Amino acid sequence: MKKIRNITRRDVFLAVLPVLSILMAIGLWLLVSSGEDHIIPTPGEVYERAVRLFEKPINHVSLWGHIWASVKRVLIGLFFACVTGIPFGLLIGWNKTCRSVLKPLFDLIRPIPALAWIPLMTLWFGIGETSKIALIYMGTLRPVLVNTYAGVSMTPQINIDVARVFGASQFQVVKDIVMPSTLSAILAGIKTALGTGWIVVLAAEMISANTGLGFMIIRGSNVADLALVIFAMLIIGIVGALLSAVLTFLERKLCPWKTVIN
Amino acid sequence: MERKIKVKVEDLCKSFGDLKVLEDCNFHIYDGEFVCVVGPTGCGKTTFLNMLSNLLEPTSGRVLIDGEKASPQKHNLSFIFQEPSAFPWLTVEKNIAYGLRAKNKDEGYIKEQTDRIIDLMGLEKYRKAYPGELSTSAEQKIVIGRAFAMDPDLLLMDEPYGQMDVKTRFYLQDEVIRIWKEYQKTVVFITHNIEEAVYLAERVLILTNKPARVKEDVPIHLPHPRDINDPEFVRIRNYITEQIKWW
Ligand SMILES: Nc1ncnc2c1ncn2[C@@H]1O[C@H](COP(=O)(O)OP(=O)(O)OP(=O)(O)O)[C@@H](O)[C@H]1O
Ligand SMILES: [Mg+2]
Repeated sequence: MKKIRNITRRDVFLAVLPVLSILMAIGLWLLVSSGEDHIIPTPGEVYERAVRLFEKPINHVSLWGHIWASVKRVLIGLFFACVTGIPFGLLIGWNKTCRSVLKPLFDLIRPIPALAWIPLMTLWFGIGETSKIALIYMGTLRPVLVNTYAGVSMTPQINIDVARVFGASQFQVVKDIVMPSTLSAILAGIKTALGTGWIVVLAAEMISANTGLGFMIIRGSNVADLALVIFAMLIIGIVGALLSAVLTFLERKLCPWKTVIN
Repeated sequence: MERKIKVKVEDLCKSFGDLKVLEDCNFHIYDGEFVCVVGPTGCGKTTFLNMLSNLLEPTSGRVLIDGEKASPQKHNLSFIFQEPSAFPWLTVEKNIAYGLRAKNKDEGYIKEQTDRIIDLMGLEKYRKAYPGELSTSAEQKIVIGRAFAMDPDLLLMDEPYGQMDVKTRFYLQDEVIRIWKEYQKTVVFITHNIEEAVYLAERVLILTNKPARVKEDVPIHLPHPRDINDPEFVRIRNYITEQIKWW
């Protein structure tokens, strides 16, 4: 079934282009940073700052510690968002009564960005871990729930009918048909949620924290250590991309039929 | 000898809003009978099968299987839908086993039955493949296999061979006849293809245009396997074609 394709010159050209564009970005960075006014540190300075970071950790927490602090917050918030959002999404997607009752409530809260919850969360949970995780929960719940709900309502009727004429119960229909056909929508939702969670955690950490990548950026900014700021930004980008890659991998593992078709 | 009635259709009517699709259908299908249903496009053939399998409620009248209201939980029936209906997330073998699993059959039996069907359908090579990787023809074989695997008492087929290439179509026509004879199933087979209907059926029901009623009930007494060049075969085929053209 696999198509065999000859590698053409054009393929090589297209494969080289990304490398070129990254090199160009670095070149541009070098050019801008080597100016007199020093609006941005040079790549070399950022590199040196990174090395120093390993010798003298910030706030006695290693780089890995900071990364893990941020990732952990996102994962915990996301975990709760999945545990509640997926069943909730399945429920309003599948049961018409639940949909009529719960969907309007959800639609009311839905357009409020997670960051708007900061004052309330701080009031309720203080400035510790709980309020950060609650904030991430607010941000990640929406994509998980919306995607689950959309996935359920897009389950092909024909597949449901097949199960019904084989005498499947309502529960079997949800388990055997709705769940697998919704799975990839749910995973896509989790992927979006990770992106949102990553934004929210940084914002939360910038406001008050003594660990995490958001905290690292603010520390750099407070002491005018721009090299540290840039380095933290790079790490944020890399970790964000890795999280997304993990989900793509998971999607392939859990929904092999999707990859097969593409 | 009096034949037992498997399916009894009484004053069956179905409307979708203002659209009358079926009107006062009355007929029955005997146990172990092979019935083909032909009729103009969009006349309500699928709607009729959907009521036989209880996917749709009749507007009035009723459908009885073995004297009871039709129900997939109670009756061992299989339905082959007109549209492609393999589960994209299951491999070929799991698709075929699906109905048996849904009915909580014993795993040993499921395996044995699945192997037999895979062999029958010539799907051995694709056992672990997903339907999306296969051709339409092969995908339809999965669906047919999934229905046969149930050993259903009542097999409902809605233009099952419409999408298939000619060779597979001929093979599966003979196969459905073989299964029907061997296991004495009751088969209701919808088709657009009049030759196919005359090749397969013991009786052909001709439906009228919307709202559909049974226009005529044509028994075919030729023995299987039938010869499509036999003059009697040709005569019946032409006769049915005439009856449909009339509308
Ligand atoms: N759920 C529905 N709601 C409204 N109208 C419907 C519905 N299902 C079918 N119809 C209409 O009922 C009529 C009969 O449809 P049906 O699918 O039973 O025809 P058919 O004989 O199977 O056609 P075909 O030969 O194309 O398979 C059509 O006009 C169709 O548009
Ligand atoms: Mg139809």
